[in-house]
Amino acid sequence: MEQAQRTDVIVTEGVTKVYEADGIPINALNGIDLTIQSGEFTALVGPSGSGKTTFLNIISGLDAPTEGKVWLAGKVLSEMGGNQLSDFRRDNIGFIFQAYNLIPVLTVEENVEYIMLLAGVPKAERHERVITMLEAVGLKGVADRTPTQLSGGQQQRVAIARAMVSEPQIILADEPTANLDSKTGADLLEMMRRLNTETGMTFIFSTHDPMVMEGATRLITLRDGRVDTDETK
Amino acid sequence: MILKIAFRNIFRQKRRTILTALAMVVGFALLSLTIGLSDGAYGNIIAMFTRNRIGHIQVHRDGYLDKPSLYKTIDNTSAVGETIQRVVGVEAWTPRVYGAGLGSVGEKSTAVQIIGVDVARETAATRFDQKVVEGSTLSETPSHEAVIGKGLAKIVSATVDSELVIVSQGADGSIANDVYKIVGIAESGDDITDRVACYLHIEDAQELLVLDRRVHEIVVIVSNINRVDKITSAIETQLNDSTLDVAPWQVVAKSFYRAMRTDQQGDAISRVVIMLIVAIGVFNTVLMSVLERTREYGVLKAVGTKPVQIFWLVVCEVVIIALGSICVGALLGALLNYLLSIYGITYPQEITFGGMKLKTLYAEVNVRCLVIPAITVMLSATIVSLFPAIKAARIMPAKAMRTH
Repeated sequence: MEQAQRTDVIVTEGVTKVYEADGIPINALNGIDLTIQSGEFTALVGPSGSGKTTFLNIISGLDAPTEGKVWLAGKVLSEMGGNQLSDFRRDNIGFIFQAYNLIPVLTVEENVEYIMLLAGVPKAERHERVITMLEAVGLKGVADRTPTQLSGGQQQRVAIARAMVSEPQIILADEPTANLDSKTGADLLEMMRRLNTETGMTFIFSTHDPMVMEGATRLITLRDGRVDTDETK
Repeated sequence: MILKIAFRNIFRQKRRTILTALAMVVGFALLSLTIGLSDGAYGNIIAMFTRNRIGHIQVHRDGYLDKPSLYKTIDNTSAVGETIQRVVGVEAWTPRVYGAGLGSVGEKSTAVQIIGVDVARETAATRFDQKVVEGSTLSETPSHEAVIGKGLAKIVSATVDSELVIVSQGADGSIANDVYKIVGIAESGDDITDRVACYLHIEDAQELLVLDRRVHEIVVIVSNINRVDKITSAIETQLNDSTLDVAPWQVVAKSFYRAMRTDQQGDAISRVVIMLIVAIGVFNTVLMSVLERTREYGVLKAVGTKPVQIFWLVVCEVVIIALGSICVGALLGALLNYLLSIYGITYPQEITFGGMKLKTLYAEVNVRCLVIPAITVMLSATIVSLFPAIKAARIMPAKAMRTH
């Protein structure tokens, strides 16, 4: 993808997050200013407690900053109400969590289909896209199984399929390879890299995994809630 | 999909679902039983009170009910009776004459209430013959016979074949007195009535009180007590006589009816208490279920489920359980009420309500004992699910997903 075609999909301005733990304020983020462009394959790295997950939560609207503003696809997240924010997340962001976070009572097919159902995609189209996506992540044969009947790697593939099936602008992945063996992790990373290249989706990972760091096109290091380094490869 | 998730969630935690459903089923069955027993008891009391004594509807001269008087009479008894009989839903009618007097047997005297009855009609309408517990009923032709209440017989030490002298006042102002042969002792089920009741043939009573063929009251029995108000209106219309009052039993026996209503309100309070206990149990299990699934609600919200959809997810789960519980509860409630409508519950001691003696409490199987618990269970389950549902809907995804 050409640099000239890229747009700013995420912009943060002075994002600060203060938690209270037993009455003691903890500064998880300390005024982060960042711009992430469409099509980037960005890794957020840093030691535990550096604010990676908090930053991902805030740029996706899963959490609210104590101070600062977040623009996502041109919209200010803090200006949206609960239902509006849900719709916005559904249409623009795909999530891949470290703990997979699939809906346990739904089958693989239903988990992948769920977001499109919320978005009101017609049944035939939903079915077609689910089949295509399950094929892409190599899970076509387990469509009728429930998450508990799958291995960790398979569950993470379902999570990737769920995140990508509605073709969002941004995929946010929080430690996506942390619970996987190195081969499965490498396979999934390769698959996401391929999807990034083919579809132009923006990927942002929080990770400790050197393999993910190596595959990223941009590496942002957080330390004590601040951007320590920001390298584009 | 929300409905699908709700439905599958129910079968996920089977033990909790069974506990929640059990609370609802037991609540339903208890409610159904209290309504069935209450309706059965009051139905029985009302049937005894109306069918055996006051009838379902009464016709009097205008103002008689408020201030009974020897002189407030219905003059054209037969014509009024025949008109009443033509009204659809009327099963029987019977005329009565009332008077106050002094009754003496030997040297013992007491106040008596003279009740002149048309023996054949009274037997057909209020089963008069079945009240006679000793001796025989009155002859169908005037024979100077009397049937007296059990309590009255005790007061004046009368037995069957004793002679009863009644002294009263005639409608013409004369002193009325006559001698009657006691042929039977009656028990109406109302002790107060039985202490003063002195039944005479209506023509004997009319002769004693110098009333010619006039009567004080026409008692009407209807085939369906639930239609009493409509039949009352129909009789009023048919009679079209402003000098006559037509009143249903609820008006005739105002104080009895009020006491019964008050007692029924007491039952309603006990039903509310039952439902509160059930609701607290359901609330607890639903809240626990929501708290345990905080993480899942966080995930659902994170991937784009709206707060309102999560709200409905929780409410749907409870409503589905409530629907299943209502079906099971309805079967159980109907079965229990049916069994108690046949076998009843025998009181250790006879109880009295409004003068009516009751030995056994029978339940009644009706629509009320199924519909009221169904509405109550559904409403209370929905209401108690609101707080957990709002809690789930307002979850902050990031915080919720940190929950284990």
